Amino acid sequence: MFDLEPTDEQKLIRDTVGSFAKERIAPIARDCDESGSIPKDVVDQAWELGLIHSPIPEEQGGYGEERSAVTGAIVAEELGAGDVSIAMHVLAPRLVAYPVLDGGTPEQRKQVLPRFTKEFHAATAAVVEPRFDFDTSRFATTARRANGSYVLDGQKCFVPLAEESDLFLVLAESDDGPAAFLVERGAAGLEVLEREKNMGLKPLATNEIALRGVKVPADARVGGEAGFDVSRMLNLSRIGLCSLAIGMARSAFEFAREYAKERKAFGVPIAQKQAIAFMLADMAIEIDAARLLTWEAAAKLDKGEDATRECFLAKRYCAAQVLKITDNAVQVLGGHGYIRDFPVELWFRNARGFSSFEGMAIV
Amino acid sequence: MKILVPIKRVPDPQTNIAVRPDGTGIVTDNVKFVINPFCEIALEESLRIKEAQGEGEVVLVSIGGKECQEQLRTGLAMGADRAILVVTDGPLDPARAAEVLAKLVAQESPNLVFLGKQAIDDDANQTGQLLAAMLDWPQATFASKVVIGDDKKSVTVTREVDGGLETVAFDLPGIITSDLRLNEPRYASLPGIMKARKKELKEVPLAETGVSAEPKVKQVKIEPPPKRQGGRKVETVQELVNLLHTEAKLI
Repeated sequence: MFDLEPTDEQKLIRDTVGSFAKERIAPIARDCDESGSIPKDVVDQAWELGLIHSPIPEEQGGYGEERSAVTGAIVAEELGAGDVSIAMHVLAPRLVAYPVLDGGTPEQRKQVLPRFTKEFHAATAAVVEPRFDFDTSRFATTARRANGSYVLDGQKCFVPLAEESDLFLVLAESDDGPAAFLVERGAAGLEVLEREKNMGLKPLATNEIALRGVKVPADARVGGEAGFDVSRMLNLSRIGLCSLAIGMARSAFEFAREYAKERKAFGVPIAQKQAIAFMLADMAIEIDAARLLTWEAAAKLDKGEDATRECFLAKRYCAAQVLKITDNAVQVLGGHGYIRDFPVELWFRNARGFSSFEGMAIV
Repeated sequence: MKILVPIKRVPDPQTNIAVRPDGTGIVTDNVKFVINPFCEIALEESLRIKEAQGEGEVVLVSIGGKECQEQLRTGLAMGADRAILVVTDGPLDPARAAEVLAKLVAQESPNLVFLGKQAIDDDANQTGQLLAAMLDWPQATFASKVVIGDDKKSVTVTREVDGGLETVAFDLPGIITSDLRLNEPRYASLPGIMKARKKELKEVPLAETGVSAEPKVKQVKIEPPPKRQGGRKVETVQELVNLLHTEAKLI
């Protein structure tokens, strides 16, 4: 069967998360951007939707519900339509919880997962490295075996919520390929550096972190000796990032479309001018195209197949299109697009980062 | 405590409604449907009562086509325990709806029936009152605050009435209809949505209730309100007074 129709549950999830994003997240996005912070109450309310702990097994305090990359894509798109910074913040604990859920040993699951089932509990992943030759298939951060432990060395950046997280999932190169390690906040040699000053995502606190000879026990390696499928984790994160980008592009498109229907020039709404109408049509086409690429990749991951190719295609496409769509949204608003009274300049700034982001959200 | 919450499927209040050219109703293509906001408030309050008491049951009812399952599932995802759909070919008028509810009350024997004060589609504001009359139960409409007595056998309700607030109290069983300011309904959670799939949603054909589908109120025609005319500027107060007298015939 070939079907792109979401299930009844997925539709209900889309509507619920969509209403939340529209009523609770979008209205505060501008203030958050100006202040560079996110109010705790909206984070708590988002947590109550079960965004983190729904798939955590009941014995660890969750609900043991089925998890799907397609459903995750739907959720991320709705949250991204509200605000991508707030979305990344509220979803950040997944960056530790879901890899452990997917590939953790029984002890790791028992030790880590219950932290996420009581209330919003900050945790994060350290993926991106501040290097010109950063490569997700070959991390420059190293994990060296030493007397039954691992020693981590390297530098990471774009680590969301690093300051408030008590647990980091660090991706590093071990002698048998990329691996993931659970590093507690207090580990000697782990240093959270200054908050990054980013062009967009201003409400989201991201930091560089330094790992200088951080010694972790062998059982801190996710999946133990057998390891863990880092490539799949990164693919799931690409679905998350793609969907956030699509959600934001959708908001930018809808805002520009409504503006164009109201704003009059030469006696008619500018939406009736072909220069604008074609632009709006292209935005709508690209949003649907980006979503289809993303859902195809997500559906393949749900079937347990390798979707690295599809995820890369979707990621590249979404990163390019979200920038083009938000740029066009600024253009449709003309001079109004450039001033901070309208949200389009905010979306445009946020969009620029998607070509650099990796591993900052996961489904 | 067992609470029966009737909910109605209505067009999303945020969508633009267009009237069909033949005047038989509104255009429903591409219109999103939701739980009537007042019904949703009634459901939220019922869930809070159940949660505060730590026991009880919240039973949803809807009357209409199979598509009402969507709204019932949403209500179940919010936390209701089970749902009953009385299947009809189209919506019933308030009197018939109240008759159906009266039959269900006889079967379910709830302690309380909690309705929305009115549905935002036809704004009839009758079902709760009619049901109270049919059952000969006490009623408190337009509730803005509901306090269940410690003995769980009585209820005190603050009502929004013209010119102020009125507080009434009665012994259960009874009928309450919610006003807008009673509470702010919750969002369904992801686990709630997944759980809702496994909850009971029973379909009952209208014929089984013994209630006739023959409407007591006939809907003759639906038409959009007349377009507002643009205003006019006058030069002097005298001119305004003259126009009010000669044209508007107000003075």
